[in-house]
Amino acid sequence: MSRVSVPCHVKGTVALQVGDVRTSQGRPGVLVIDVTFPSVAPFELQEIMFKNYYTAFLSIRVRQHTSPHTPAKWVTCLRDYCLMPDPHSEEGAQEYVSLFKHQSPSMTFPKWLSHPVPCEQPAPLIEGLPDPSRVSSEVQQMWALTEMIRASHTSTRIGRFDVDGCYDLNLLSYT
Amino acid sequence: MLQEESDLSLVIAQIVQKLKGSNLYAQLERQAWASLQRPEIKLESLKEDIKEFFKISGWEKKLQNAVYSELSVFPLPSHPAAPPEHLKEPLVYMRKAQGSWEKRILKSLNSMCTELSIPLARKRPVGEQKELLNKWNEMGTDEPDLSLFRPVYAPKDFLEVLINLRNPNYENGDSLSFRTHLGLIQVPLKVKDIPELKEFFVELGLTTGQLGIDDSTQVPPELFENEHVRIGQKVLAEQDSAAAQQYIRQGSPTALRAELWALILNISSQPEDILYYEQLKTNVIQHDLLVDSLIYKDVKLTASNDDYYFVFEDYLYQVLLCFSRDTSVLGHFAYNSASPPKSYIRGKLGLEEYAVFYPPNGVIPFHGFSMYVAPLCFLYHEPSKLYQIFREMYVRFFFRLHSISSHPSGIVSLCLLFETLLQTYLPQLFYHLREIGAQPLRISFKWMVRAFSGYLATDQLLLLWDRILGYNSLEILADCPKSIVP
Repeated sequence: MSRVSVPCHVKGTVALQVGDVRTSQGRPGVLVIDVTFPSVAPFELQEIMFKNYYTAFLSIRVRQHTSPHTPAKWVTCLRDYCLMPDPHSEEGAQEYVSLFKHQSPSMTFPKWLSHPVPCEQPAPLIEGLPDPSRVSSEVQQMWALTEMIRASHTSTRIGRFDVDGCYDLNLLSYT
Repeated sequence: MLQEESDLSLVIAQIVQKLKGSNLYAQLERQAWASLQRPEIKLESLKEDIKEFFKISGWEKKLQNAVYSELSVFPLPSHPAAPPEHLKEPLVYMRKAQGSWEKRILKSLNSMCTELSIPLARKRPVGEQKELLNKWNEMGTDEPDLSLFRPVYAPKDFLEVLINLRNPNYENGDSLSFRTHLGLIQVPLKVKDIPELKEFFVELGLTTGQLGIDDSTQVPPELFENEHVRIGQKVLAEQDSAAAQQYIRQGSPTALRAELWALILNISSQPEDILYYEQLKTNVIQHDLLVDSLIYKDVKLTASNDDYYFVFEDYLYQVLLCFSRDTSVLGHFAYNSASPPKSYIRGKLGLEEYAVFYPPNGVIPFHGFSMYVAPLCFLYHEPSKLYQIFREMYVRFFFRLHSISSHPSGIVSLCLLFETLLQTYLPQLFYHLREIGAQPLRISFKWMVRAFSGYLATDQLLLLWDRILGYNSLEILADCPKSIVP
């Protein structure tokens, strides 16, 4: 499957706040980021990838045009997806996150599945172990790919720390 | 394929990649070829027959132990977009703090170099090489003039850096609230609370037998000790790393400890390992490093002055000098927030093909470093085995005690865990110490950085280190001082 990244325009954050932003003392807990897609051609969105910076929960809403005659509708794809299990501690605070289309419970996004996919809970490891021979054949496919990339790379160290027998050094460098 | 399955495939691919370069892989290949001679191996069912042969002959168990070892040491593959530094340490401000700390250490070492006019490294003249080789087993008798050398840093310098760590996105506020942390560590790392600790350390509960408590002379051995020893012998007979790790959570009998630790750390002294150690010894003979003087000074100041460990002085040089030359240690920097110092061959500054790491293993010892090795001398007397065990303990555990990271077993988390536990269990003591200007962490920090080596009697220390291996975590170190401080 070939996947390409879709060009998108990410606008600056807007705080959702009641009252006047300038005079109000309180800090808003909800920020909104608008993402628009400048390309007109329709595409099938597989994955949204980003790096978190201290956001605890994420909701994604999508505006879709079903037909030229009806006005565009806002649909919630994801609600309160947890990125930080404890918002007051560092867990998950700066992690890289990927959201896949099968995680969204009810999508009616134009080019996605035509029927809603139920939200899947990740199966506990004891019950959900995959079939070993199937996994091993998938690993072999992945293996062929990595072997091509790492054709000349060996993971064992040769053990030499000098350069042609010489270990006569300057000072330690700071970069 | 579903996300979980593709994650698993990625882990498997990564482990296979790592093991492919190992001795075990070569041995398995040789064994597979040799097994073709055996009558039970038939061409029609070659794959199944060889797998069965591996199972019966114990090679499958060895492979299992190797895989278990990889899973224990290396972090799971992270998000494909995450760069390598994210794997070392995910939080940017911690990475920056570690970088600044390292720069300070490098400056200190460089200034020592220029002040004393001693090169970082030099090749020994042949006469000196011969001399060192002759007294390799008694380097402790040497009394070089080390008065001008000073340790690059001491634990208390490191503590000051940790105290000043701040998360730029975290606002403490000036006013005291229930959220204000009263201890010295001011970063909001996630540490286990008491219910979580109880669950994590379930085998240390009051209803489970423990060596160190339930084998004391007043307790009849039939109640716990005899059976525990019997199970230990069985675990060793099975040669199963995972079982040994589970077993040792209740402590190890003294007679079985050396073998159990070697099994858990997946260390078996093969001829290749002994050869490798001899090669490191040759490197020590050929090149003299400035770091060697730091090691000498450290051993003289700490282990040699210790009633338990002074007898092992010679062993310590034999291990630590070789450790500095071991480039295989560089591999652990993939998951260590620290980075190895870099230098260039003289006259080739800036040319990448002449860039080297210094010392070759990338680890600059600090005051007290030799105490990581000293307790191991009670268990292992053969230098190459002692060396392997220490190296594995370092790249699995000890490196976390002197680098700045957000890892749950990292020293910052341990400090925070200690302070939180003390406040919860002994709030009056905590408050009193704070009021008289003796923050508890200032007292216990040096104990934790050294994993209690030199601060606990050896038999108790080894029981503590049993639990570090058993739980694959250093969190027990934060729990320990709470019992000692009052």
